[in-house]
Amino acid sequence: MSLLQVNGLVRRFGGVVALRDVELTMEAGETLGMIGPNGSGKTTFVNIVSGHLASDAGTMLFDGESITGASPHQLAARGLTRTYQAVRVFSGLSVARNIETASLLRRDARAGAGAGAGRADGATVDELAEWLRLDRLMGKPAGSLTLFEQRRLELLMRLAQRPRLIMLDEPVGGLALTEVREMIELLAQLKARCSLFVIEHTMRVIRELADRVVVLMAGEKIADGAPDEVLRDKRVVEQYLGTVHA
Amino acid sequence: MSARRWAVALGLLALALPFVLEGNRFLAFVYSIVMIHLIWANGMNLLYGYVGLMPLMFAGVAGVAAYAMIYLTRSHEWSFWLAAPMASLGASLFGVLLGLPSLRLTGFYFTLCSLVIQTVITLAFVFFPTFTNGDTGINQIAPPQAPWGGALSGVWMDETLAIVAVLSVLLCGWIVSTRLGKRFMAIREDDVLAEVLGIDVVRDRIIAFFIVSMFASIGGCLFAVTIGFISPRSFDVLTSLNIWLFVAFGGRGTLIGPIIGTIVLAPIPYLLQELQGFKDVLSGVLIIVVTLLMPGGVWGELLRWRDRRRARRALAVGQT
Repeated sequence: MSLLQVNGLVRRFGGVVALRDVELTMEAGETLGMIGPNGSGKTTFVNIVSGHLASDAGTMLFDGESITGASPHQLAARGLTRTYQAVRVFSGLSVARNIETASLLRRDARAGAGAGAGRADGATVDELAEWLRLDRLMGKPAGSLTLFEQRRLELLMRLAQRPRLIMLDEPVGGLALTEVREMIELLAQLKARCSLFVIEHTMRVIRELADRVVVLMAGEKIADGAPDEVLRDKRVVEQYLGTVHA
Repeated sequence: MSARRWAVALGLLALALPFVLEGNRFLAFVYSIVMIHLIWANGMNLLYGYVGLMPLMFAGVAGVAAYAMIYLTRSHEWSFWLAAPMASLGASLFGVLLGLPSLRLTGFYFTLCSLVIQTVITLAFVFFPTFTNGDTGINQIAPPQAPWGGALSGVWMDETLAIVAVLSVLLCGWIVSTRLGKRFMAIREDDVLAEVLGIDVVRDRIIAFFIVSMFASIGGCLFAVTIGFISPRSFDVLTSLNIWLFVAFGGRGTLIGPIIGTIVLAPIPYLLQELQGFKDVLSGVLIIVVTLLMPGGVWGELLRWRDRRRARRALAVGQT
């Protein structure tokens, strides 16, 4: 059974079709990359799957159960969570309070120990904080952190909930080159903990992390396969990569 | 002195003051008014300070409870001690029902919606004179029964108000420390993020709104029996705004802020009785000053100033 299965997803904004019959499956443990030019519907796709936006047609299954029309907090309880293109933390609260808030809903606390088995390897919040190098920043207001620190805090807050799938919307957006390097390393380690869905413009992220890549173009899926093949695909190169890497 | 000791001392002082002021009926009256507004300010603070919603129908809900309490005690001869909780429960459920559509909204949109609801409630008070006696209002509201027989009045009425006010502060402090309170603050900071982190934002807002309506309602019932007279004007939008001002002036989202705001601002209309026009001007000026110059309120700005000074000191230590 696939972890995520999306069938015939359609979304219109007025006369514009943002998503046209998008099909997508994702296996547990897999890291899936999604690329495409600006306005091709990537964020709309994540918004719909994560419950922020309703679809006009189509069905979605998460772990075999329908999540069509589910709200974000219901999805969080099932282990599907996301991050945002623009970093989003409780900037007025301290780092520790941010993490505490995220830990209010811990899936294994509600579903029993069995639900967490095989995924999150039982790492405590303290271990996660050390791994993400946030352990010395606990008392600071989250709003005073650097962008990279906030991105790491965002990750920690998701991991504190022991999710099964994290959808990352441009995880290295706005980071400096050295930070991009570090972020990729962190995400590579994260792959062992849960499934990842990554939207990115930085091809390096996709090339180094993704097991499989999906390409969206004007709301349609035009390619789906291993990164090497997809990034060499004639249509993808001509319509997307060619324009970016010219 | 630690914060806990301060709190205990303040609480004991609040409970002792009615006996100190017993000789001076005017000051005792002003004190009882402050206590009622303290109950209200705590409720307002819970929603405005901790959940981040500004409920302008606050006074309206209080009014519904007060009128319902009077109806139950007069027409059905219920005891105040039964009628007040029942009326408060009813008014709070009614408030939640009215507020249900607006609780999906955030920030300014919720405030606007609550303003409309407040206006409708005020109009309802005027247009259903069977229960409210219309614009004329209801006077000679009987005081509550004393446990030892007769009517509760004078110093014991004031003491009752002080007890309820102290309880309202304690309750507010307790709620804020629970998981529910932490969810409230998450919603205040960023409701979209709170939702993604698994918090059922609409459900928690409804819970908050119900609790807050209970604060409003109980305050409303006590207000009616303390003053002995209510009219639609007692519970109009200006009353809501006044209570909001106490919270905003003192410092929203803190436990002490609303106490400061209420003690400083609630007595003003009574102390400036000869200058009726002036008090409205003062309220208006204060609203502008608070919004522009001290968004955190007196206590909030004080805390911020202290944090800044600490940060500077830490920096200075780091440099040497």
